[in-house]
Amino acid sequence: MADSSSGADLSPAEVRALAVTLGLTLTDDDLSEVTHRLNAMRDALAPLADLPLTSVEPTPPTP
Amino acid sequence: MSDANADLCFTPAAELAARIRKKELSPVALTRAYLDRIDRLDGTLSAYITVCRESALAEAGRAEQAVARGERLGPLHGVPFAVKDQIDAAGVLTTAGSRLLRENVAASDAPVVARMRRAGAILLGKLNLTEFALGGTLDFPYGQPRNPWNVAHDPGGSSSGSGIAAAAALAAVTLGEDTGGSIRSPASSCGAVGLRPTWGLVPRTGCIPLCWSMDAIGPITRTVEDAALVLAAIAGPDPSDPQMRDAPPDDVLTGLRAGVDGLRVGIVRELVSGADTNPDVRAAVLAAAEQLRELGAKVEEISLPLVRLAGAVFMALGDSEGAGAHQVWLRERASEYDAATRRRLIAASLLPTASYHQAARARALITRDVLAAFARVDILLAPTQPRPAPVIASGHAPVASKADAAARFFTRRSYTTPFNLSATPAISVPCGFGPSGLPIGLQLAGRRYDDATVLRAAWAYEQATSWHQQRPALA
Repeated sequence: MADSSSGADLSPAEVRALAVTLGLTLTDDDLSEVTHRLNAMRDALAPLADLPLTSVEPTPPTP
Repeated sequence: MSDANADLCFTPAAELAARIRKKELSPVALTRAYLDRIDRLDGTLSAYITVCRESALAEAGRAEQAVARGERLGPLHGVPFAVKDQIDAAGVLTTAGSRLLRENVAASDAPVVARMRRAGAILLGKLNLTEFALGGTLDFPYGQPRNPWNVAHDPGGSSSGSGIAAAAALAAVTLGEDTGGSIRSPASSCGAVGLRPTWGLVPRTGCIPLCWSMDAIGPITRTVEDAALVLAAIAGPDPSDPQMRDAPPDDVLTGLRAGVDGLRVGIVRELVSGADTNPDVRAAVLAAAEQLRELGAKVEEISLPLVRLAGAVFMALGDSEGAGAHQVWLRERASEYDAATRRRLIAASLLPTASYHQAARARALITRDVLAAFARVDILLAPTQPRPAPVIASGHAPVASKADAAARFFTRRSYTTPFNLSATPAISVPCGFGPSGLPIGLQLAGRRYDDATVLRAAWAYEQATSWHQQRPALA
């Protein structure tokens, strides 16, 4: 799996290789969008590294 | 259809139930009026996947006999309702809007459907949705749902049909499901009232899951009182759902009309004044805040800096859970998914577990901030969506870049998801129209299990305005 920090964008070839490890097949059209989505997600989550994440436990709400 | 029949179908459910109890209105005639309206309009709007015509008329006949016999009647006796096709009704298809479930017939009623029936309501049918409640579907297998205010525009999702059917009076009331905004978004886009109840208040058994820690079933209606009536019917513990609070639900009806005098309302600065919020939406929401102030609420601005990250945090968690649930089908039946669903689930499948873990911690921080805000105010106020509903075609353009992906998939979700992440109740009520005539939604959120205060504030605002009385001009 890729590193959790944003870093350089994943290339389509890297995304395809990741998918193959999970047994997932990507069409060429799928590959382009999945690559954009995944890179966008990694960028969007990068600011989390600056938050005091260790001050809280990663547990969901309970009823 | 005559104007009289349209007037009947647009009548609030509370009033319909009262007229049925007084023997002024026949449940059979009412059910026929909705079925006629569905026949006339749903070919264009595609709100329904399944219409339960014969069983609805049979139920209506029994309801009429019960009235005639003077039996004790439920609060929604004889009122026709419809549910998102993610929720089971015995003997009826539950497709979740997917080709993969085109032959999936439910064996039994979900608890929420059983409770609506127990309250006397009559099931009209199952409502369209984006595939597996994910949003962004390109090719709807059961028809392209359309916004009743302008059929070229998106109705919002994922409970698209529930929003359309409520706004266009194709049912008296509807049920939707909201994991990241899927009740409030279509309510906002279609000019209806949509309540996501506190997570843990309404049982989810019999509802195809997307994200276990955020899925919540709730009403989409034309009035706040109707939303309260439906919530009162469906809320409360059920042994089949272990994530339910084990306590009787609060009464949401008795105090509904108590007003907002002295209520503390916080305008969420980042969601109202942020650059992503359309100026028309900002103006409508600030006018709504001013209206609440005139009604006696104490309105102040409040800052929640982390809500800007909520959309991405939600997608890292919700999409990962969804991807986990779909792994086998993604490997074995990928071509049967809509292309957008498949791409979204595959992208989520490839997200590193470290990112999921970070997002889970960020969720806890966002929750801490939201709950801390409720120490200062009783209600948080924000737009439901940053802009009115876009044209359907705009969602069909290929995703051109990661910036395009971020703009299309993350930004708007930061408006609704802070309250999904924090498991708090939130409602969308109509608060105006944009220049192109499409509705704008006002979002009001409250403390966990204080759905009654959310409904009270929404009712006070609704009654002081006339937005909820507007009807789409349907051919």
